Amino acid sequence: MTRKLLFLTLNTVLAMLLAGACVWAQLNVSGTVSDENGQPVPGVNVVEKGTATGTSTDVDGRYRLTVTQGNTLLTFSFVGYVSQEIAVGSRTQIDVRLLPDTRQLGEVVVVGYGTQQKRDVTGSVASVAPKDVQRIVTPRLDQALQGQIPGVQISTTSGAPGGNASVLVRGIGSVSGGNEPLIVVDGFPGISSLNAINMSDIESIEVLKDASATAIYGSRGSNGVILITTKKGKAGVSSITFDTYLGLQQPAKLLKLMNGRQFAEMVIESRNNGWLENGGPNAKITDPNSVRTSSYRIPVEYSDLDNLPPYDTDWQREIFRTAPIQNYQLTATGGNEKMRYALSGGYFDQQGILIASSMKRYTARLNVEGNAGKRLTLGMSLAPSFTSNKNIPSTGHYGDLNLINLAWTMPPLTPVYNPDGSYGNTYYLTNEGGVGVANPIQVANERVSTTSQFFMQGNAFGEYRILDGLNLRVSVGGVFTNSKTNNFKPSTLPAIEAPTPATASFKADEGINWLNENTLNYKKTIDKHYFDVVAGFTVQKSGSVESTTTATNFPDDLIQNINGGQITGGSYDIGEWSLLSYLGRINYVYNDRYLLTVTARTDGSSRFGPNRQWGVFPSFSIGWRLSEEGFIKDLGIFDDLKVRYSYGLSGNNDIGNYRYIGLLSDSYYVLGDQQVPGLIQSSFTNNNLGWETSKQADIGLDFSLFGNRLNFTGDYYRRRNTDMLLSKAISSVTGFTSAWVNMGEMENKGFELGLSGRPVARKDFQWSSSFNISFNRNKVVSLGESEEIFSSAGGRGNVSITRVGHPIGSFYGHAFEGIFLTQSDLDGHAVQNGAKLGDMMYKDVDGNGVINDLDRDIIGSPQPKFYYGFNNSFTYKNWSLDVLLNGTQGNDVFWAGAVFAYGFHGVQNQLAKAYENRYVSPGQPGDGKSPRMIRGGLNNNLRYSSFFNFDGSYLRVRSATLNYNLPQGIAQKARLQGGRLYLSGTNLFTFTKYPGYDPENNHAGDEMKAAGIDYAGYPPARTITLGLSITF
Amino acid sequence: MKKHLKYLAALAMLSLYSCSDFLTLSPETQRNVLGYYNTPSDFNNALVGSYATLRASGLYGSSLIWMGEVSTDNSDYGVTRQAVNVDNYQFIDKTYTSLNSVIYAAWRDHYAGLRRVNAIINRIQDVEMADNLKNQYLGEAQFLRALFYFNLVRLFGDVPLVTEEITDPDGGADLARTPKDKAYELIIADLTSAEAKLPATYPAAQAGRATQGAARGLLGKVYLTQKAWDKAAAKLKEVIDSGTYRLLPSYADVFSFTTPVNAEILFNVQYKSGNTGQGSNFGRAFAPWQAGATVLGPNAGTGGGTNRPTEDMENAYEEGDLRKPFTMQSSYINNVGNVVNERYVSKYIQFGALAGDSDVDFPVLRYADVLLMYGEALNELGQTEQAISFLNQVRTRAGLAGLSGLSQEGYRLAMEQERRVELAFENHRWFDLIRTDRYLTVLRSKGSNVKDFHILYLIPQLELDLNEALTQNPGYSEN
Repeated sequence: MTRKLLFLTLNTVLAMLLAGACVWAQLNVSGTVSDENGQPVPGVNVVEKGTATGTSTDVDGRYRLTVTQGNTLLTFSFVGYVSQEIAVGSRTQIDVRLLPDTRQLGEVVVVGYGTQQKRDVTGSVASVAPKDVQRIVTPRLDQALQGQIPGVQISTTSGAPGGNASVLVRGIGSVSGGNEPLIVVDGFPGISSLNAINMSDIESIEVLKDASATAIYGSRGSNGVILITTKKGKAGVSSITFDTYLGLQQPAKLLKLMNGRQFAEMVIESRNNGWLENGGPNAKITDPNSVRTSSYRIPVEYSDLDNLPPYDTDWQREIFRTAPIQNYQLTATGGNEKMRYALSGGYFDQQGILIASSMKRYTARLNVEGNAGKRLTLGMSLAPSFTSNKNIPSTGHYGDLNLINLAWTMPPLTPVYNPDGSYGNTYYLTNEGGVGVANPIQVANERVSTTSQFFMQGNAFGEYRILDGLNLRVSVGGVFTNSKTNNFKPSTLPAIEAPTPATASFKADEGINWLNENTLNYKKTIDKHYFDVVAGFTVQKSGSVESTTTATNFPDDLIQNINGGQITGGSYDIGEWSLLSYLGRINYVYNDRYLLTVTARTDGSSRFGPNRQWGVFPSFSIGWRLSEEGFIKDLGIFDDLKVRYSYGLSGNNDIGNYRYIGLLSDSYYVLGDQQVPGLIQSSFTNNNLGWETSKQADIGLDFSLFGNRLNFTGDYYRRRNTDMLLSKAISSVTGFTSAWVNMGEMENKGFELGLSGRPVARKDFQWSSSFNISFNRNKVVSLGESEEIFSSAGGRGNVSITRVGHPIGSFYGHAFEGIFLTQSDLDGHAVQNGAKLGDMMYKDVDGNGVINDLDRDIIGSPQPKFYYGFNNSFTYKNWSLDVLLNGTQGNDVFWAGAVFAYGFHGVQNQLAKAYENRYVSPGQPGDGKSPRMIRGGLNNNLRYSSFFNFDGSYLRVRSATLNYNLPQGIAQKARLQGGRLYLSGTNLFTFTKYPGYDPENNHAGDEMKAAGIDYAGYPPARTITLGLSITF
Repeated sequence: MKKHLKYLAALAMLSLYSCSDFLTLSPETQRNVLGYYNTPSDFNNALVGSYATLRASGLYGSSLIWMGEVSTDNSDYGVTRQAVNVDNYQFIDKTYTSLNSVIYAAWRDHYAGLRRVNAIINRIQDVEMADNLKNQYLGEAQFLRALFYFNLVRLFGDVPLVTEEITDPDGGADLARTPKDKAYELIIADLTSAEAKLPATYPAAQAGRATQGAARGLLGKVYLTQKAWDKAAAKLKEVIDSGTYRLLPSYADVFSFTTPVNAEILFNVQYKSGNTGQGSNFGRAFAPWQAGATVLGPNAGTGGGTNRPTEDMENAYEEGDLRKPFTMQSSYINNVGNVVNERYVSKYIQFGALAGDSDVDFPVLRYADVLLMYGEALNELGQTEQAISFLNQVRTRAGLAGLSGLSQEGYRLAMEQERRVELAFENHRWFDLIRTDRYLTVLRSKGSNVKDFHILYLIPQLELDLNEALTQNPGYSEN
């Protein structure tokens, strides 16, 4: 089958090349296409009917085409306008005025299992044009979508090459299940990441937000649905496009850390303070090291400030670099009435701004579609990609070898390399009360971590026209993934103690997810009634295998994978799920103004317990196109005006496989001096376990003014999630501490507004602008009998709390009230064990006069009050400038990295200002907000308090691109259909009070219970690129 | 058209037919409860899993060290105070809060073990298997249940008495504390049954399972705790008379990693090196904080500073006590050759073992304990003279002169002292002092600000929150 289609495709390509070469009896036709207001319309398809010959109009609405002389018809078509066919005759100049279409060729949006006229849509569906995502230069679709869609909140949780982002549609709907929207690519639901798609291949992106739109995806729709459609060939339009960009990336910000002398001073001061506090009643700062316990010793290397080691290493500059990024893409599309194709191939190469991180990606895609007879259309697509990454730990504790945290904490008095060429290290300090910090350059050079991934999506379909308006579509598709990761830690790491033998691990994953869909679609217009009905059933099954192998006892570091040592561990894990679904939808329009959509899907899933295996997810929506009513038309204001309302259910089945089944765990013991296997039950069986339910109501308003030059869409929604999967804390008297049950409730409600328009639309100068803003309030309504769930990220203790009545993942800790500057501060404050002058003061929450860990409280939320995007495009003649801004407001970030950056404890390097502003004595109180330097302080100033929380609001110039479009004349001389040269900058400026690298970083990725925790994470780069796009 | 409909109908039928099969998937790489507890080998596996509970962090793995040693005058903690060890310092400062994670782990893990043994005890009767094996398995499970409850009632007082598997997630949400007399009834019944069912010894390959002697010895300790002196004396005498156990000539041999089950051990928690997660960590955990290869050997990690002997403990050893140089050290030489004056427990160190991977077992009940308990019972029964001979057996091995001419009260103090040094760092100190009502007196004499109500540990807050019927121990509600 594949071979046959490929053969047909090749024939088609060949045939068209030949057609282009034919030179007999030709006529050159040119002209201008304008709209009902006389404004030029760019991008109109102009095709010689019945042939593959065609072009599209340029920015001035002009076209030029060579056609066969004779009874030639030219077809002019453009989305939203009535197509026109015009006989050429012997004319060489044909100007056309297109009129807006009211139905058949109105703007179409893709919805689940079909398409709909945009004007008929009653659910909340947002469309993003490919040009909107392609005007930001990034390989990551999630980053490109950021700030573009109302109600969709995207944050780049890691800036590493190939890193991921968190994507939320209308807030957070689940505590323990998934929160990411369902990603559907060319009809295949369940693509794991937006970044699996090459952006150049995208034809359209739709986001389904309310229950009316998502219910057709049943038990997977509650977190919203992102529909991506890839480019297909179009009859009569053939082109070959070459895109490339080359760029340089740099860190956007570095921290100002202490220099070597400050570091030594801080070590001495903090150890002395610590010794006074912990060394007993007779401790004096003049006590020599021999008297002190190890924590309070002053390393001999730092003891003489006039004779410090001759180094002042700026470790941040050592780990960051200016890194190249490059991308190449070739796309060919074309076809005729019988056969259409789109073929693309791409290569992308990115070095990370953090040394030793990089990514390469190779992608290809083939979409072909052909007519087999008059009733049957057959098609297939194949999209393989291969990605390889070099990884480096780039969030978390320096003990986990996070390069960034290592650079922050490594003493500046340590050189990168010693005079003898060996790596500078802190080994010697560990005997003098120091804590070993690995040399980040050594980590980057010697640690190995590579991942390669193969991804392939394939699909074949047949669509049969049974009757006029009645179509049967059968499709079979699959996604295949395979990834391998090799990790190797040489004996020389972690470089803080004597060498320990190398270790290595290897991980291989393979996944196959296949789907069969069978749908019947019937469209019919009877007088003023219009029906569009879909019914179908689908079968999907997914299986994955993950295996890991670990090796230890390496004799040397020569073989840098598991083969170099003894295999001492491993695992093998199979995960499967299956899903059977029946679905249906009726769209009904009366008299072009009264709209109704009713949807239902029934899902049966292997993930649900036997008592709750099938779920039904119905929804409805209604709309009223007021603009069709006489009394509105008479106002002469609205080109379009629609109010809509929807209500429905959808579900979240992202609860893990087999969760209802009680599991047994291995539990080994030793008998007869030998290890013997044993088993323990490790979880409850719960046959009632099922999907999470989302009930959502939405009321929306859409209107267009000034000849469609100003468009508004606004929604208010209320989304209530019930039956939330919870690992309910239970009395451990049962033998377990938790059990999975459906019981929690959460609410998200909010507004989202989108405004777009073309404030200026002159011949030479156009300005188009869009602004969107979204307000979401998340509130946990019920967590069953427990009132709260604590979460931690990276061993920093329970810093996040999911508590009833508050947003999910609120920050939980001590409220910082200032510094004890005077004795009366201490006397007047609740008793805080161990606190002395210069220590942090915490709020006495329970008012009992004593500060302890019961005085922790909610001290912030990582959820923004609102987020927004503001995108502008200015076009002057052949020049255009795109500027994209976005931001969030009102979210807090726990800078977990600040526990190191404001170390206070004389072990690691830290921010210069934390030292310069510190409290020293009553006469030297510093800035009154910074605590003293002390090792082992009894007050423990590093405990989690609001001192470490910062305002994460930001406004970012996400992207600015200056384009130069090749003038038509030059292009034609160069035998090009078009060309564009551009200079682009991403992540150019960020206006924020956040003191860390970047407020979007999140240690826990898309785990919403521990969101907003920047643990010295990988910051997104500032990138400048130069790009070229030419179309033949 | 008709033809199409036929195909469609056929397709639809096909999908309906295969529905239930298609949607039933059970884990292929994870063992699960479907089809478990059916064969003798299932029960053996379940028993091994139950024994493994002994190593949990809430039992001998960690909590009992803090609750049994660090909370007394024996030891403290060598790690700098910081946010992550607030709970640990509460055992030294006696400032327990109901969020203490070490205490919570003890409560949690004992009940986890109880679920495992209850499942065995309740289900094994219906399974077809050889009677002797069934009796042995049942006896082992009863022994473990008794041990778990004995620990719980001593640590917490009255506790909910659960003797069945709870199958409803809410089954523990309204479960009141049972008077501890009831728990003791169950403990004694279980141990009496276990004593009758368990073999005196096992073949070498099974060594480490609960024996008749273990059940007897533990029962003796239960009676002693109840101050039932005559029953205690009788039961402990049975252990001594059985001839199965004896004192090894050298104290150090008792903790030898080469002969983990030796003639002095009635019951211990078993470990085995080999980098498969079966090794013990006590040697490393008790080594001085951050001490490295000079104390533990290469690749052994760094010391954990836990259970650091107090100066008072160091001074508790009499001159010439052979046990002292084996049990603890007063200083060590660090990696650069400097002497660091830091006390630490050395009795569990297997020099050269990888971090957390030593063979050293942890004793739960050993013969020296039996001798001292027997002497204690005799003394309380007024037979002080006979009691002294058993005390002296222990002293003689330690290279100390025998005692003589003790009064009954004098014997009590001598016994207390002898138990302290003989059983040092084996989690006995707190239990012994509580059992003899001496905890508050002894600790206060050494300057501790221990409160009257510290004779029981607090009930963890999480458990109070999740179980409506549960109440806090007296004294603790104020903080």
